[in-house]
Amino acid sequence: MSVAWQQSTHGVPRRQEKVNRTLMTTFVVITVMVASLGLLYLGLVASSAHLSSDIWHMHSEMAEIQRESSRLETEIARLSSIPVLQVRSVALGYQAAEWIEYVDIVDVGAP
Amino acid sequence: MMRGPEARLRLVTALLIAALLPVIGQLVRLQVLDRDRYQAEVEELVMRPYALPLPPAGTVRDRNGDLLVGNIPIYGVGAQIDLITDTQMAAAALAPLLDLDEATLLEKFVIREDEEDLRWVWHRLAHGIRGDNAEAIKKLKESWDWLTLEPTWLRFYPESQLASHTLGFVNADGNGYGIEASQFHLLQPRPAAGMGEVDVLRVPLSEELAKGELRAFAGTDITLTIDRTIQAFVEGELDKALTLYGASGGTILVMNPQTGEILASASYPDYNPSLYSTYDVSEQDRFVDPAVSVVYEPGSVFKIFTVAAALDSGSVNRDWSYYDSGLIEYGGVLVRNSDGAGHGQQNLQGVIDRSLNVGVATLTTQYVGANVFADYVLRFGFGRPTNVGLFGETAGLVHLPWDLSWQDGYLVTNAFGQGIAVTPIQMATAASALANHGTMMKPRLITERRTPEGRVVPIPPKVAGQPVSADTADYVVGLMEHAVETSIVKAQVPGYRIAGKTGTAQIPVSGGYDSVEVITSFIGFGPLPDPQLLILVKLDRPQVDLSVRWGTQTAAPVFNLVASRLFVLLGIPPTEPIDP
Repeated sequence: MSVAWQQSTHGVPRRQEKVNRTLMTTFVVITVMVASLGLLYLGLVASSAHLSSDIWHMHSEMAEIQRESSRLETEIARLSSIPVLQVRSVALGYQAAEWIEYVDIVDVGAP
Repeated sequence: MMRGPEARLRLVTALLIAALLPVIGQLVRLQVLDRDRYQAEVEELVMRPYALPLPPAGTVRDRNGDLLVGNIPIYGVGAQIDLITDTQMAAAALAPLLDLDEATLLEKFVIREDEEDLRWVWHRLAHGIRGDNAEAIKKLKESWDWLTLEPTWLRFYPESQLASHTLGFVNADGNGYGIEASQFHLLQPRPAAGMGEVDVLRVPLSEELAKGELRAFAGTDITLTIDRTIQAFVEGELDKALTLYGASGGTILVMNPQTGEILASASYPDYNPSLYSTYDVSEQDRFVDPAVSVVYEPGSVFKIFTVAAALDSGSVNRDWSYYDSGLIEYGGVLVRNSDGAGHGQQNLQGVIDRSLNVGVATLTTQYVGANVFADYVLRFGFGRPTNVGLFGETAGLVHLPWDLSWQDGYLVTNAFGQGIAVTPIQMATAASALANHGTMMKPRLITERRTPEGRVVPIPPKVAGQPVSADTADYVVGLMEHAVETSIVKAQVPGYRIAGKTGTAQIPVSGGYDSVEVITSFIGFGPLPDPQLLILVKLDRPQVDLSVRWGTQTAAPVFNLVASRLFVLLGIPPTEPIDP
């Protein structure tokens, strides 16, 4: 057995062959697997960080849009408020009616 | 014994293992033995309190969705002073946008002695910046990293003073008036603040945000029963009435007696809620809502409740009559009719038509009795808040036979609304029971709430009680309708059957009643037989001639003006033919 397992290199007998090859294969497989898992993990972390960054930006944008929306909403409400409409009406020449009389119209649309 | 390469290989392996052992040992120490200490140090380094942007408070809208209270974004502006390269240029650019002069701004750019050792120095430059100025500063910030903008919100009232008492305000401490104060717990946003991993500017790291552990919520939106068009019209009519009659104050309440919804509540004095902080201390009485927080003696309007109590309790029947001598004495109190005259034989209709003090005093003292009368006063909701949902509502002042303060004379004076203090909202609510066939609806100002998640929570009408039977209520309404047809003609609205009652109440002063000043009022509703509109008009201290200083002459015409227009605005068609 020792003869089959040994190989003479520079006259120095070494133990190698089948056992070392198996170990090497196992080592390489494990290394590749660990490296793959590591890459996968790093990829996921990077992706997660990127998504988190996007969320933060969207959060900020949403807050800004909400602020702008509120500003526009209050501006529309102010422009269509009764005091503003009254001033605008007067500027357009309308006047408050001194006397209003409501007419009772009976049977409108009856054949 | 091994020799040569193999021995060397083993030696190298042993050395490597020997070298690795301390590393592994250190790892164990760092990760296991001293884990807590190092974790605390890391947390101290990167874990900081932070807050998400504050969402807006809830809005307040009228029944048609028109905005009554909203939010406008405002900004606090600051600067990291140590990073400013050209303070002169910065001051020149920012001063007009911050409404400051350049010299003031340059002072803010100076690093004080006590700040010299700090790694970085930040100063607040201004707050409350909004609109175009804020937008311009945002643009400057794109090129100036040292400029900071902190967004926050400012309550905004687009209709200015409209419905100021109903809407109210809340100060920085959370105290205030109106809906803003009473619903503060719902309207205010829920800020999100906590500890987490932040960067140097205390902005949460992406990973921290992605955890989603913190969520900020906007405030709950509220929709009121108020109609802004009706409110504006009623406020305008109140202003005109105050000017016309020289009254020092007044209130007009508009209510749907079938649902208890308040359509408008106008009172003077009022204020601009946007500018509440600018009012002088001596002027802050005007923040108090006279409709719910100020009591008055209602006077003769109260007679409708006295008559209702007498009928409903069975103390008298509808054929009851008495001889009116114009005078009655009870419990040491001498009572006369308002005209000082006796009116001979009178029935219930005569008591209401002529507003006879002696008649109602006769009812309470000789037929109803103190305990039964007090029971009906409480049934109509007097002496306790209506819980309409406004801050600072008062219960009024009711004397009851079982109170230590009770005097027999109260049984006489309360019969015609003196010696009892009520709020306008209590009067309107009590009268709504008669208008609504004996069923008294709880007055309400909020019709629905909308949560930040979009869930709509309707607030349904609620029955507050049944103080009198439908028969009694309808009969008393009939008496009131007759009074309007015959005695209070200025309250009549062509085409509509109206029921109503006037009041002219003396004002209590130290030691008795003011001999000249009065509070005139009118409560009316229509169109009969199923009124959809109840209007209370109250005018404080009208300064017209004494001969016309009566509810009939002052408050009733205001009711007419308001009711005539509101029937049209609300699309309530006439029930009677209108004479051309």
